[in-house]
Amino acid sequence: MLNYLIKRLLWMIPMLIGISLISFFIMHLAPGDITASESAFNPKASEESRQKLRALYNLDKPLMTQYSLWLKRIVKLDFGNSFASHQRPVLWETKDAKGNISKGMIQDALPITLMINLIGLLIIFALSIFLGVVSAVNQNRWPDRLITIIVFIGFAVPGFWLALLLMYWTGVTHSWLPISGLHSAGFEKMGHFEQYIDLFKHLILPVSISCLGGLASISLYVRNGMLDVLQQDYITTARAKGLPENKIIYRHALRNTLLPLITIIGLSIPGLIGGSVIGESIFAISGMGKLFFDAVLMRDFPVVMGILTIGSVLTLFGNLIADIGYAWADPRIRRGISN
Amino acid sequence: MFSKYIFLLLFLFNLTSCSSKKETVYNYEGSFNIEKGGMLIDAMSGEPSNLISMIAGDSASSAISGNIFNKLIKYDKNLELAPELANKWIISDDQKTITFYLKRNLKWADGHPLTSNDVLFTWELVTDEKTRTPYGSDYKLVDKAEAPDPYTFRIHYKKAYAPALDSWASLQILPKHILKDEDINHTFFSRKPTGSSYYKLTQWINGEKLTLDANPSSVMGEPNINQLTSRFIPDTSSQFLELIADNIDLMNINPIQFARVIPSRPDLKNKLALYKELGNSYTYLGFNLKHKPFNDIKVRQAINYALDKQEIIDGVLLGLGEPVASPYKPGTRWSDKNLHPYPYDKNQALKLLREAGFDDLNHDGILEKDGKPFAFEILTNQNKQREMTAVLIQRRLKDIGIDVKIRVIEWASFVNQFIKTGDFDAVILGWSLSLDPDQYNIWHSSQQKPGQFNFIGYSNKEVDELLEEGRTELNSDKREKIYHAFSKILLKESPVIYLYAGYGLTAMNKRIKGIESPAPPAGIAYNSYEWFIPSTLRRNEIAP
Repeated sequence: MLNYLIKRLLWMIPMLIGISLISFFIMHLAPGDITASESAFNPKASEESRQKLRALYNLDKPLMTQYSLWLKRIVKLDFGNSFASHQRPVLWETKDAKGNISKGMIQDALPITLMINLIGLLIIFALSIFLGVVSAVNQNRWPDRLITIIVFIGFAVPGFWLALLLMYWTGVTHSWLPISGLHSAGFEKMGHFEQYIDLFKHLILPVSISCLGGLASISLYVRNGMLDVLQQDYITTARAKGLPENKIIYRHALRNTLLPLITIIGLSIPGLIGGSVIGESIFAISGMGKLFFDAVLMRDFPVVMGILTIGSVLTLFGNLIADIGYAWADPRIRRGISN
Repeated sequence: MFSKYIFLLLFLFNLTSCSSKKETVYNYEGSFNIEKGGMLIDAMSGEPSNLISMIAGDSASSAISGNIFNKLIKYDKNLELAPELANKWIISDDQKTITFYLKRNLKWADGHPLTSNDVLFTWELVTDEKTRTPYGSDYKLVDKAEAPDPYTFRIHYKKAYAPALDSWASLQILPKHILKDEDINHTFFSRKPTGSSYYKLTQWINGEKLTLDANPSSVMGEPNINQLTSRFIPDTSSQFLELIADNIDLMNINPIQFARVIPSRPDLKNKLALYKELGNSYTYLGFNLKHKPFNDIKVRQAINYALDKQEIIDGVLLGLGEPVASPYKPGTRWSDKNLHPYPYDKNQALKLLREAGFDDLNHDGILEKDGKPFAFEILTNQNKQREMTAVLIQRRLKDIGIDVKIRVIEWASFVNQFIKTGDFDAVILGWSLSLDPDQYNIWHSSQQKPGQFNFIGYSNKEVDELLEEGRTELNSDKREKIYHAFSKILLKESPVIYLYAGYGLTAMNKRIKGIESPAPPAGIAYNSYEWFIPSTLRRNEIAP
């Protein structure tokens, strides 16, 4: 088992270099650089000053040189500073001589996105397992049909449209929930408990909208997996020996159904750090989606590469965790790895 | 079992509805006395990047830094130059030396005196090779700058440079005592500035909001409104919902919201005031003058006659725009009242095209010349108004037998693959210009290298001479004549077709009083420090 782990971890190094190389070159294939932003199209801004900026960021050097410069920094875990005029550090905060702290861009955006996605993932899995089991047990009867229709409507409805409608209904006509942002005005002056309530209220809409699309696929996974399992011989055996139906479904069938979900959870790990650009824009939440999207539009290469690198590390780890999780849950696979 | 959960749900709903604010009914009408205090909340689509404006360059940054820093001189409500830090300035007879005399007892927000040394320091910064500013070129023309005493700042130019005053009306003065040992490109000052103007920065939460408080030692006197909060809300629909829910006081709106949504809803009309003002920008259809047949003046004039500009204004801007006949803001002295846009005249257009050698010989509805059909492509960037404009142009040109294709491209690709390489037939773009009439960078024949701004390849000896003359003449009346003559040639030659100058549209909660309407030439914001919020109309500012 330990050998297997070490082998997998060592394999990640060439994989990461390959991924970063490909993403670096694809990123540079897109025409333009930081000096071509819309605000630079100003007759007062001269071409010489743009050239100066290009030289400063090494954008005038050959691509291979630029890549090796980047690689040299990244092995020291130095993600560099943004090309934007605020020059903030990409990953983590730095302190200047006077003790002023510049927060990292990913450091600012990641916790928000992680929080929304983790809550979302929990809700998606909890609801989907429940809905999937109900569907499977009632196969082709009305609860099954109803659930399928509802999750597909949730999947098909454009999130931004529903978000705006809900914002209007809960925020403007009724003022039940705040419309956008994560904190109310005067958040700093609230007590701890009020702060939690305030944050909770701000999260209701964004989290619900982000869950909506995921319900369909996972509940159908659970439904179909459950149907498969219910036809297995050991279920028939269990029924034959007179076990109550509840016990059959929740102890014997569900456990086996959940095995493939481990893969899905593993594959969801990299998705946890990615936010939805549209969702974040509409709810005015400054998460990873907006950060990445803006960085791509601005050709802010250090930020783009920073997020891609973290994303690919997480993807590889996600795969590894899924495999280990499998081994832990399923003795058949465990034996395969040990051999 | 389930009833427990339903109870919990009800409890949660109760929780949310109990703490929700009660709808307060304000009476916005009547007369109010000027009062100090209150808080104004607005929404910004982008977050400021850097509050040192010579480095930033984005509009969000300059909107904030304009409230924090002062310039030597400013434009007043009629767009004439007026004192700000300097109470007067004298131009020498040879027009090469300008002397600014600063007001007495100026202070930074931290109490340190503000002197001509700070001005000199700012000039040194903006012209320093190491400073990452795109705007240095205007200031590098200064041959020598000096601060002979704390209240005098003098600059010498090698040769007279007319846009000089405009450049000093846009340079925000920075404090030497704080920045002299700092690296301007990386200093934390860009997020924690010390200025001298109406407001000072008190809070900045990344990705969320920024708060300015009145600066008690402001060199301009104290503003009426105590606190300005800008919330960063990228999506304009969400901004609009916040506006109608009374959570923000002001935002820029689009023509549909201005002309249709708000007027049709009494509840909104009751609490929102609408303002429109012309910006210093216009949208145009520009030709690649190096490509055939756009090198032919008759073809360009024909297309100009074939386009119905009023139709575009009505269709795209719902009438909220003005036709323009010169590259200057209508209503300013640089815009010649005697010039009129080409009228819509299909027959005149066809006549000119025939004279240029085009005819529909094979009767397929498309004109040809030398056997080749008249077809071209209009490029524009992802901008809804420009896309709609392109469609209207496409239709009008089809009427006279020109086949137009439209291509919409992301900005960075647009600039690098098409504008810089000169690989385009026609573009729909806009210019946002400074208030000085000098447009040397855009029209002079020497400015055609890749990355420069005369990318359409316009070259006219007479225009070159006028532009050179205009930049060395500091007398406004003489300049007016020069730029009127320049505009006249441009209109006749039609290297670009002026389509419209759109109004900037603002919706503001009626609790904000003291706004000048209709907007003066400088726009409504010119006296924002005089705006006030009567205490009876203030929102409950501390959250419950």
